[in-house]
Amino acid sequence: MNNQPTFSNKAQTTILIRLLTYLKPHKKAVFVALALLILTVIGDIIGPFLIKIFLDEHVAIGNFDTKPILTLAVTYIFIQFINVILSYIQLIKFQEIALKVIQQLRIDAFTKIHRLGMRYFDNTPAGSIVSRATNDTEAIKDLFVSVLSSFVQAGFLIIGMYIAMFLLNPLLAMFVLIVLPLIFIVIYYYRKLSSVVYLTMREKLSELNAKLAEGLSGMVIVQAFRQEQRFHDEFNEINQQHYRAMMDNTKLNSTLLRPVIDLIYFVAIILLLTYFGITSFSTSIEVGVIYVFITYINRFFEPINQVMERLAIFQQALVAASRVFTLLDHEELEPRQQETNAHISNGFIEFKQVTFSYDGKVDVLKDISFTVKPGETVALVGHTGSGKSSIINLLMRFYEFEQGDILIDGTSIKSYSKNELRKKLGLVLQDPFLFYGTIESNIRLHDQSLTDEDVRAAAKFVQVNQYIEQLPNGYQQNVTERGSTLSSGQRQLIAFARTIATNPKILVLDEATASIDTETEVAIQGSLEKMRKGRTTIAIAHRLSTIQDAEQILVLHQGKIIERGNHQQLLVQKGLYHKMYLLQNGIVE
Amino acid sequence: MKVFFKLKWFFIEKKKEYIIGLIMLTFVAILNLLPPKIIGYIIDEIAAKHLTPASLVKWMTILVLVALFMYLLRFYWRLLIFGSSNYLAKTLREKLFSHFTKLSPSFYQSRRVGDLMAHATNDISAVQQIAGVGILTLFDSIATGGFVILAMAFTIDWRLTLIALIPMPFMALSTSYYGKLLHKRFGVAQAAFSDLNDKTQESISGIKVIKTFGQQKEDIEEFKSLSNSVVEKNMQVAKVDSLFDPTISLIVGISFLLSLAFGAKFIVDGTMTIGDLIAFNTYLGLLVWPMLAFGMLFNILERGSASYDRIEELLGVPMDIQDKPDAIDQQPKGDIRFELENFTFPGEQVSALKHIHFELKRGETLGIVGKTGSGKTTLLKLLMREYEGYDGTIHFGSHKIDAYKKERLKEAFGYVPQDHFLFSTTIFSNIAFINPTVEKEKVERAAKIAHIHEDILRFPDGYETIVGERGVSLSGGQKQRISIARALLLNPELLILDDSLSAVDAKTEEAIITSLKAERQHATTIITSHRLSAIEHADLIIVLHEGTIVEKGTHEELMAKKGKYYEMYQLQQLEKLVEKGGYCDE
Repeated sequence: MNNQPTFSNKAQTTILIRLLTYLKPHKKAVFVALALLILTVIGDIIGPFLIKIFLDEHVAIGNFDTKPILTLAVTYIFIQFINVILSYIQLIKFQEIALKVIQQLRIDAFTKIHRLGMRYFDNTPAGSIVSRATNDTEAIKDLFVSVLSSFVQAGFLIIGMYIAMFLLNPLLAMFVLIVLPLIFIVIYYYRKLSSVVYLTMREKLSELNAKLAEGLSGMVIVQAFRQEQRFHDEFNEINQQHYRAMMDNTKLNSTLLRPVIDLIYFVAIILLLTYFGITSFSTSIEVGVIYVFITYINRFFEPINQVMERLAIFQQALVAASRVFTLLDHEELEPRQQETNAHISNGFIEFKQVTFSYDGKVDVLKDISFTVKPGETVALVGHTGSGKSSIINLLMRFYEFEQGDILIDGTSIKSYSKNELRKKLGLVLQDPFLFYGTIESNIRLHDQSLTDEDVRAAAKFVQVNQYIEQLPNGYQQNVTERGSTLSSGQRQLIAFARTIATNPKILVLDEATASIDTETEVAIQGSLEKMRKGRTTIAIAHRLSTIQDAEQILVLHQGKIIERGNHQQLLVQKGLYHKMYLLQNGIVE
Repeated sequence: MKVFFKLKWFFIEKKKEYIIGLIMLTFVAILNLLPPKIIGYIIDEIAAKHLTPASLVKWMTILVLVALFMYLLRFYWRLLIFGSSNYLAKTLREKLFSHFTKLSPSFYQSRRVGDLMAHATNDISAVQQIAGVGILTLFDSIATGGFVILAMAFTIDWRLTLIALIPMPFMALSTSYYGKLLHKRFGVAQAAFSDLNDKTQESISGIKVIKTFGQQKEDIEEFKSLSNSVVEKNMQVAKVDSLFDPTISLIVGISFLLSLAFGAKFIVDGTMTIGDLIAFNTYLGLLVWPMLAFGMLFNILERGSASYDRIEELLGVPMDIQDKPDAIDQQPKGDIRFELENFTFPGEQVSALKHIHFELKRGETLGIVGKTGSGKTTLLKLLMREYEGYDGTIHFGSHKIDAYKKERLKEAFGYVPQDHFLFSTTIFSNIAFINPTVEKEKVERAAKIAHIHEDILRFPDGYETIVGERGVSLSGGQKQRISIARALLLNPELLILDDSLSAVDAKTEEAIITSLKAERQHATTIITSHRLSAIEHADLIIVLHEGTIVEKGTHEELMAKKGKYYEMYQLQQLEKLVEKGGYCDE
């Protein structure tokens, strides 16, 4: 948010047009709303006209026939009343359209988020992704709700009044026309200046909030290191800058918003009265005409003021829209799959000379080759950053790779359909992420093909059934706040059940037991062993003790496999594995 | 209205601005009355064909002067009043932040950062509204509205004024009512929106799980149904929101009609001129805003007052622990002695710590082990004086810890917390936290001891790499090691590693422990850990269980004891010794 782009007029137009295309599915509703708007504008224009007739044809000449006056009054009341109803419907219609447009934008953004590759999530803080789909779209809402309708209304009202004025007195209408360019000049300068001022203010505000959020989250550290004064000073500095930016904004608004529009109002009134005054020296003038013109001028400035006040919202909405569109246009998509009918039946995995880099500069995997036979377990061990997780990331297709290939049952993983991969590969993460919902919904996820029995069988299989059943609501027990009411071991077992329920052919364990204390781990090991039976397993293990029965252990170091073999073979080699093993077990040679 | 009184301190501070601003507003309100009058006169003169060029010039000159004068006044009162409200926001923010820096860690444990942020942003802007728009609406509804009504009544016709005003109170009433209704429905809509926000947040945090299980479509469906609810709830808001404009124009319309009908009658009766009627109509138009303002005022005040109460409540949170009057102004040095009988967290029943007795000589290393919740961190917190009110004493050097000035006591500690927190700035600034201008060599030296130097050099910009949300993402172990380097730079009398090696792998942990030992031979270190390897070499190990010391001694002593420690030790070596037994025997 720090580097908000300043837009050229052209870029703004492009964004606006793209936003407007979202109105397409609501063509009919927009048409109805506009028609209603035009009707209300016509009503607004006719009102003063009726009064003019009343003034000129009755009051001024003292003609008070009941019938025509009654007709006038009834017509006036009728128009007012209809106008009130129509404008209510019209306002709601615009709101409804706006809300639906925003909903579509939101769904588009959310859908897009799901199509993005992991790379995007690595580089973009979660908070800002959430903002794209929610807060930014919300900011655009104002554009549709208040800005566009008030712009359109102002436009119609101005045009309608001019038509009426021209009908009454073309020459005078021409004079009044002079104020329009004045208004446009003001709008032009206001937008030009405010885009800078406003942007600075937003920037300072986001800096201020960032500083505040960081100060609050890290306050314990700030205090422990006695840096309160420094943080206080830094905060004050930004607070002061923000204040200055706000003052600039207040100054600009005071110069160019309401006060200047009021000034232009005076220009119009002075023009009008001077014209009438000078004309009155030679010809006689109907008082009603003066009334109509003055009323129009008064009314004329209401929408103008509204438009001026909403220019800031307009600017803000465009900035937000540009951010949403940047997300929608983002090209770091998930790796593509060729949608073939290939099936994974055995679970034979082969890595063939895979080299991979996240950023295109540093290779995190270098020439990785290994095979895992169906039903066997291969364990990946190594130092943090050795490339263990990257191997899993590639196998799970979280990231695209260019060099080498990964084959399952002899076919490249790029050639399996997405569905097939998701069905046959089961991943258990280090952090057993639980969703808001119930225990059952966390095991089943959205897979409606799973019966209640399947869910229970899965829970039983990983031996978490007893625990679940003793909960007050059993499987329907609510899971809140990421499952913080459950212990990490229980959470992990539920995540196991979730994976087992899909009955994958290949099991991928990404440090599945790392966040669990040693005692719980013993219980979990039992479940894990059961799960691995009959499945090809690739496991990353933090604790070497958990993978000693693996058929093959790959020791990674800086992206290369430097040792491979089973537990005994590796110990005999007395290499890195041996050392890690000794260390972990606290054995001093 | 009470809230104005509560903000008295501010209005007094800015009294010059407000007095001048309000005087200007008064002038604006009075000048506002002139144009309709002038329009009325000119129309009457035109109608009666009395208008002369001289009088036209006179009136127009007055209008030009009024226009320019009003522009200036309008500009300056805004600057003064809105400017002051900006100042109020700034001042409150500063006060709040300053107070935040003084609150104890226990405060931060019980409050969520998000809530505190909301107070510092939303609540402050609601209060700012009071000082800006609030003052304006108050003044406008009373003064401007009053002047207009007076002008109508005294310069035109008081009877017509009364008649035309009949519908006006309904406007203030209905808009105020709508405002309340709107506020309520808005709350519901906001809740739906925040559900949507939570859902999005959850989907992004759980993106790997969703991808793994191929549940994108279903997740999008769920999002759609939530977004439907947002639309629905917002339509409820729209239904009220859209009532404002039509209601206002209805009431104003009725008022206009009444004034025209009765005005016409008065003209016929000869008690009024046509110019008067048009002027009167223009005045009516001027009344719309003050009426609206009156409706708005209550909502602004209501919201702002609730916000100000919340801010005041925050500012009223006391700083937990204060220095004693005769506190020692000297950094504690020396042995540490715990003679603690009992400590219970405020508001809780069960003791968090019981019978903690041990002594740690200067330069020694203390290892504290125990399960989560066994009281390890609590013990450290008492030592750092984050909590008081325990039964017993804690000595640091020759005095009890509460005898020292808090500032000086803190100086003695280099604390590395369990949940490492780094600031979103460069790695260098994170390590050089205590002194941003420290020499590069010292920072690098600390980084080397914490075994993070090599890692840092591998980052794109080395020590200048930005960490956190906007920079590179570090692994948990890297963050922990940077936290350690940050504490080491202090060269503290007492270094506390509160389970801060948990995400570091065994090899690095070993290396860090070794270099710490070498580096800090004359300074005291306390390490808490799940993993026994981290504290094995400590001079004293205490095993905590349910808040009390169950075992105490060196590694060898504890191993020989074959108690809890021995059990834990065995457990951590479990499978290998059982399954492949003999293979690893030394």
